[in-house]
Amino acid sequence: MNPVYVAGAGMTNFGRSEWSLIKLASVASLSALHHANLGEIPIDAVVVANMGAARINHQTALGSALVDQLALYPAAAEAVENGPASGASAVKVGVQAIAAGMADAVLVTGVERMRVVNGLEGTDFVASLSHPEAEYIYGVTLPSLAGMFARLVMDRFGVERKHLAMVAIKNHENGTKNPYAHIQQTVTMEGILTAPEAIVNNPPIAEPLHLFDCCPVSDGAASIVLVSEAIAERLRCPKIRVAGIGQATDTHAVHEREDPTDLKAVRLASQAAFSMAGIGPSDVDVVELHDAFTILEIAESEAAGFFPRGEGHLALERGETRLDGRLPINPSGGLKAKGHPVGATGVAHLVELTWQLRGEATGRQIEDASVGYACNFGGFGNNVVATVLRREA
Amino acid sequence: MRRDVVYGAKCTSCEAVSYPAHAVCPNCRGESFEAVEIGGAGKLLTYTDVYALAIDYETRYLRLAIVELEDGRRVTGQLLDDDPKLGKAVKTTIGVVREQGGREILGLQFVPA
Repeated sequence: MNPVYVAGAGMTNFGRSEWSLIKLASVASLSALHHANLGEIPIDAVVVANMGAARINHQTALGSALVDQLALYPAAAEAVENGPASGASAVKVGVQAIAAGMADAVLVTGVERMRVVNGLEGTDFVASLSHPEAEYIYGVTLPSLAGMFARLVMDRFGVERKHLAMVAIKNHENGTKNPYAHIQQTVTMEGILTAPEAIVNNPPIAEPLHLFDCCPVSDGAASIVLVSEAIAERLRCPKIRVAGIGQATDTHAVHEREDPTDLKAVRLASQAAFSMAGIGPSDVDVVELHDAFTILEIAESEAAGFFPRGEGHLALERGETRLDGRLPINPSGGLKAKGHPVGATGVAHLVELTWQLRGEATGRQIEDASVGYACNFGGFGNNVVATVLRREA
Repeated sequence: MRRDVVYGAKCTSCEAVSYPAHAVCPNCRGESFEAVEIGGAGKLLTYTDVYALAIDYETRYLRLAIVELEDGRRVTGQLLDDDPKLGKAVKTTIGVVREQGGREILGLQFVPA
């Protein structure tokens, strides 16, 4: 396999946008292309990650549409739909093309424009990834799967609502240091949990999860430029290598899993990514997790191998995952504060890691970070892509 | 097939019952099944009260649950119990779980045993 490098990364602000879907994708793509500064080097292929445009934006064939906007013809182009893991899946497609020698420079752009529909329709569009007969017909939505998962994990491992609140507080704090983040507001334990008015500020969504346990619904796009080793050397940019990618699947219906509290696909995808990179979780300096719900940051931090099972909330409590902690998790603000334009999320993870490894994450830079890990969690954990980026000298 | 029965798939090779059904048996990779009724007594594995409701619902909240049946199989459905506790004994019943465009959809509901 040929080595693959990230030569550039860029994104739009996440939040509510007046821009069209393709405008969002174009702006993120141009910022990544400018960052990569390819000069005369052509883009051989474009891969777009998106989950819902066919349904909520009435647009299909996004790869072709983006090539046209960017006048990158005759570059190859396609779109990847893999639920909330579309972003990292699209990156994987680009990496495979270069690793196989079929391309030398690939643009990967994730995009979602969700705020055009109301909350009910938005929730329903995402719920369509659940099992149609065994889950969806009962009124199952993603928050409800997360709520049932949270109650079970809390009961089994002693996680409390204050731990969930700690995830939100940390990620909101980080989000205020990221100008691209959707939510630019800090929250306090009093405001969302302990004060009498907390129940008003932070109403239940899917018990035991409340509003501040759930990511916002966002519009946005994120983009990276992948290149071969020859091009990376020609560009003389920091060499950020895609050192490992792992992917694993699990049962569609959550209730069919042997242990519904075990994020097995996260575990297997992470092991595969670390194995490909030839490193282990203890070598990682900075982590981006898929905290669509606060409980997921805790559970993924264990399944990925950073903390023993049932101890993620204790590491969080000790401050180990803060920006100034031993293993900062979600310096970008995470999905919780940065936002979650579904198709863009997996790419945005790698945008943040690229900036961190290049020392360009102004205001939230992890000192001397050289290895980054990201977990893009699709379905409710039934399709997970883990990625390891490493800075080479 | 009856509308008021929820069916799983019993593999004709290894007799493992899957719910929901798969085209290939996750246990032995068999490809031939017979439909079997799913339900009975069990215990409450987990539940949630959903306030951000799915489309088609007009209640204040919906109580959803996963129940572990006596044979170890698990099912997702709606919980009709005012005093839910993890591990509590429940049993399945069939009721209207959704109305889509005027059409009533029947499915699993859980009531105290």
